[in-house]
Amino acid sequence: MNKIMVGLIFGALLGAIDGATAWFTPEVRSMMASIMVGSTIKGMIVGLLSGWFARKVDSIQWGIVLGSVLGLAFAYAVAAMPSETGQHYYLEIMLPGFVVGAIVGFLTQKMGTPGQVKRTS
Amino acid sequence: MELSDRIVRHLREVVDLPDLSGTRYELREELGRGGLGVVYAAWDAHLERRVALKVMDVEWAGEARLIARLEHPGIVPVYEAGTLADGRAFYAMKLVDGTRADLFLAGDPPLGERLRVLERVGEALAYAHSCGVLHRDLKPQNIMVGRFGEVYVMDWAVDGVAGTPAFRAPESAVDERSDVFAFGALLAFLLPQSAPPALRAIAAKAMSAQPEERYPGMPAVLREVERFQDGLAVEAYDENPWQRVRRFAKRNEVLLWLLGAYAAIKFLLFFARVI
Amino acid sequence: MWRDADTAIGGNGDRFPSTQLSLIEAAAGEPLALEQIAALYWKPVYKFIRYKFGKSNEEAKDLTQGFFASALERDFFQRFDPSKAGFRTYLRLAVERFAASRHESETRQKRGGDAEPVTLDETLDEIVGSAESPEEIFSQEWRRQLFALAIEELRTECADSGRHTEWAVFQAYDLADESRPAYAELARLHGIKESAVTNYLAWARRRLRALVTERLRGVTSGPKELREELRRLWS
Repeated sequence: MNKIMVGLIFGALLGAIDGATAWFTPEVRSMMASIMVGSTIKGMIVGLLSGWFARKVDSIQWGIVLGSVLGLAFAYAVAAMPSETGQHYYLEIMLPGFVVGAIVGFLTQKMGTPGQVKRTS
Repeated sequence: MELSDRIVRHLREVVDLPDLSGTRYELREELGRGGLGVVYAAWDAHLERRVALKVMDVEWAGEARLIARLEHPGIVPVYEAGTLADGRAFYAMKLVDGTRADLFLAGDPPLGERLRVLERVGEALAYAHSCGVLHRDLKPQNIMVGRFGEVYVMDWAVDGVAGTPAFRAPESAVDERSDVFAFGALLAFLLPQSAPPALRAIAAKAMSAQPEERYPGMPAVLREVERFQDGLAVEAYDENPWQRVRRFAKRNEVLLWLLGAYAAIKFLLFFARVI
Repeated sequence: MWRDADTAIGGNGDRFPSTQLSLIEAAAGEPLALEQIAALYWKPVYKFIRYKFGKSNEEAKDLTQGFFASALERDFFQRFDPSKAGFRTYLRLAVERFAASRHESETRQKRGGDAEPVTLDETLDEIVGSAESPEEIFSQEWRRQLFALAIEELRTECADSGRHTEWAVFQAYDLADESRPAYAELARLHGIKESAVTNYLAWARRRLRALVTERLRGVTSGPKELREELRRLWS
């Protein structure tokens, strides 16, 4: 499995789980479905980008850094989206998003094959 | 004529010196005496470099040809083999600049460094075995650790020299597993007091009295050591469940920390909200 | 039968056959083989007896003769077990036993009276020299005799084959008791090139090494003991 696939799969998986923990916040429980979908997509994007990065750069440290930065950025984007209730949950979305990004970044560095870029003669 | 002590002493020094006329070498100092001959430092006049010359005290060139067949970074390269004017066989080989393994320990190197040396020795042995050559006399005194990290296995013994007691396997018929035994003894020798029990177990298994109970060959031992270094379970050592968990945790340290951080953040956020 | 080697001057001037007979022939009672062993071991045994038992010159000569006459005639060689010790050690121990038993029987005869005081005279001091023990004296003397006999062989070989210059150069350099002459000096003295001096010395030493090895082969039980003795000799 190449690193991009690793990123996509684990990004989706962890994103979904992270989204599911919204259940513990009763106020947003009704929007669980859309939260999970959004979280999954966010995870996949972060995973894709981390995986791509991991193909180019072999460094666990930088993989984690990039993953966490991407995770934080996208989490912010999600948190900043206009909400029905008018309430924003910056902290609750960004902090976990940061760590999930770090985990995805780590996994893409550790697992998967960089794969060869095929050159045409 | 009555030879004085002085004359006898002089004769003892001088008569056995190898006569290098007819070779390209000039004799320098004596380096040591090994199993079947004496090793001298010499100057190669053609290539203008120092070499080691091993001069056999038995008229037999078998050992040189044996070693010359082997080409491996862990085995001292043989440059030339020949016969001296007095009929003695000799071979010229690389002069290794370094310390013997037993003296190398005096500097109390870290475990990683010791294992590195051990692995190099093991690789050389594995290669030799694959060429059908056994060492038969592996011991710390036969291993040189160079100044720049080179590791050489020297003094490949041949029939007639049955090894050194502490490192010699108990059985009389000699095969690859006898070298495995000596390798285990070497590992035990290199381990510090505080060595992990898994490594001691590997050494013990390699040194089992029955050859069948040892590792079947050098590649198997090397894989074991590699597994240890990767934090995997080692065949020789039965660990209890708690040790297994610790090992797993060590191997996956980073991931566990990250997951822990995630859980911690989630909990904190949850309780912050509740309060 | 045994040459009475006078201990003050010279040694055994007789020529021995160039083929060294082995211990096996000695065990079979071959007289030549026994002579060769005696030639090598006579002086070492003599000096050993003098040092260890404090005997006078005459007494020691007597005992040495006695040893070679009687001890070597019995199945001395059959009882030799190479796996236990080298031949040299075996022989020395046999000498000890022999001399001790003779000493016992002597002192038994002097029952009641004071045993003769044993004094170390000057000659014995000279003999002992810097050796620390009778065993060491034995080894030293043995080595000395080994070389002496081989050198004697070399001398006759050179004389027979007309290599007079080779012998002269070797004698002047390697057998010099005082300071050794420089190669240049030797070259000048004999009207040869310096490189010839190097070559002659190399040749003589090569021959000597071969002769010593041969003689050693005759008093060792096999290649393993030979190798060990050679190693001890040259280190």
